[in-house]
Amino acid sequence: MSAETTATTQAPTTTAPPGGEPRVPPGGALAAAGRLPQQNQLRRNLQRFLIGNKLNLVGVIIVVMFFILSIFGQAIAPYDPYAQDITGSKLLPPSTAHLMGTDELGRDVFSRVLTGTQISLQVAVVVLSFAVTFGTLVGSVSGYFGGIVDELLMRFTDMFLAFPALILAIAIAASLGRELKWTMVALSTVFWPWYARLVRAQILSIRERDFVTAGESIGLSGPRLLFRHILPNVISVVIIQLTLDIGYAILATSSLSFIGLGAQPPSPEWGTMMSTARNYFREAWWYISFPGIALTLTVFAFNVLGDGLQDALDPRSSHR
Amino acid sequence: MLVRLIVRRLLFLVVVLFGLSVITFSLSHVIPGDPARLMAGPRASASAVQKIREQFGLNDPLPQQYITYVGEVLHFNFGMSFTTRRPVAQDLQRFLPATIELGLYAFVISTLIGIPLGVLSAVKRDQWPDHIARFVSISGLALPVFWLAIMAQFIFFGRLGWLPDGERLPIGVDPPRTITSLYTIDALLTGNFSLFWLALKHLAMPALVLAYGSLAVVTRMVRGGMLEVLNQDYIRTARAKGITQRGVVLGHALKNALLPTVTSIGLQIGLLLSGAFLVEIVFSWPGIGRYAVDAIQRLDYNATMATTLLIALIFVLLNLLVDILYLFLDPRISYT
Repeated sequence: MSAETTATTQAPTTTAPPGGEPRVPPGGALAAAGRLPQQNQLRRNLQRFLIGNKLNLVGVIIVVMFFILSIFGQAIAPYDPYAQDITGSKLLPPSTAHLMGTDELGRDVFSRVLTGTQISLQVAVVVLSFAVTFGTLVGSVSGYFGGIVDELLMRFTDMFLAFPALILAIAIAASLGRELKWTMVALSTVFWPWYARLVRAQILSIRERDFVTAGESIGLSGPRLLFRHILPNVISVVIIQLTLDIGYAILATSSLSFIGLGAQPPSPEWGTMMSTARNYFREAWWYISFPGIALTLTVFAFNVLGDGLQDALDPRSSHR
Repeated sequence: MLVRLIVRRLLFLVVVLFGLSVITFSLSHVIPGDPARLMAGPRASASAVQKIREQFGLNDPLPQQYITYVGEVLHFNFGMSFTTRRPVAQDLQRFLPATIELGLYAFVISTLIGIPLGVLSAVKRDQWPDHIARFVSISGLALPVFWLAIMAQFIFFGRLGWLPDGERLPIGVDPPRTITSLYTIDALLTGNFSLFWLALKHLAMPALVLAYGSLAVVTRMVRGGMLEVLNQDYIRTARAKGITQRGVVLGHALKNALLPTVTSIGLQIGLLLSGAFLVEIVFSWPGIGRYAVDAIQRLDYNATMATTLLIALIFVLLNLLVDILYLFLDPRISYT
């Protein structure tokens, strides 16, 4: 909203009619000129990324499995994840009937871990959609317009970064209430400032490039330049961060659930499961182990993938 | 210039604390849930609840309640904890040393292991030390610290019986005379070596588990810094002069490679503080992390808010220290 108004004052000479399609070709060509060499390099890098590095391949496989399981997990699950059987199957060790054993209420741990995948993905999607959208908006407005707008928005952003993220999330979630939805709100609050910073820094460097100057000189409006020509160049960096953050968002959710915020029993959220399983770890190692392994593998895979993507997409990175 | 940096950062700290207190205060007072009812207990009569409400000014409009609260906080009065029924300030004083001791050991462990591991990993790039280091740095960030804690407990206490499963000392053992409130140091200072050994054994598992995450950060930073430095011209010159590998790495490269690592200390502090929340619960470690989680679970707002504010304060102040330290270490940097 403020983008729109500030933009028109900055470029009042824009005469393009609403939906003025004739003006697209020069702008499109400019954007393409800005992106093309990068895209060729990107393809080469991606090939090297998947075939050259075995760890990346493992990461990709686990991530793909994670997505498949979060969609079909509940359908594949051999048992109802909530169905209790306290008569005969409490805390049974892993067997062919119960691959990961059963819990204190006789529920099948395997089915619950599978169902938990879905919850984790849901949280990550909700939290990061908000974080990326809001953070990108703040960051791009801040970076593109500069001046007092930038100063105000960045000081506001810094306030959220001046604090260990997990503890801020705990404080917010604790104040709001012990429900998964409040955890999502808390985590969104924690994640967006990183995107604002990231996008702002990118935009500051991109807006000095020739194609932006060219766009300005042919009278493209501010928002149009920003959203159609500058932002597409920021996407790769945002994707790298996003990949890493999916893992961290899932980890943070489970951590919050573990201390009693976030998802509540009988939810099969991994952190919630482990919070209960902790009381039985001496007699039932499987109960705490499998949700933990699932969580670790998931975070690990997104980390590896994010790291690998960074190497592949960002030529300046010194990770390898 | 240094003074300006400090003043600016302290002003910013005030803004951060103000913002944070507004957020937690308004959130915790807007949502349903009656603190007076909680304080009085579920079986209290309506008039008793009303009395508490008046006593604590809970009938005042919210902004006024907030101003009263801030006024009290400025005098280090955080109100009473519903859980421990003691003043929160007193509780914090009591539980903070345990967290400091735990965090300090974890920090030392991660630095002492992380720096050599990072150097080794960079020097032996793509050989097995590097693979170990990369495994550590990726798994350190992926492993849920609370799960690692429970697993360590299961193995080293449950199966092997090598280490105690929690607390700072066994029940019935008196802590050493209070000098620093850090049990290991106090025990050494008073010359009680068996008590020192006991306290150290209790510290070992929580500190190692807590260290693992920040160990990952240190290793990664040192490795990255080292790789970058080793590619620079002056290193090639040093090699051309015939200096041994060992001399090049330790004498020429390490110092410059470590500089950027100093900036990661801030990140480490954040990891250690948030990790402490989770590790302390698992190991029944009587620090402020466990205190905060207890408070959260029992809707003890005074204690929750006080702990969050305290942790914010510690975090921002330590980060300021790190920045000042960096300024001294690297004369090329200037914060303007």
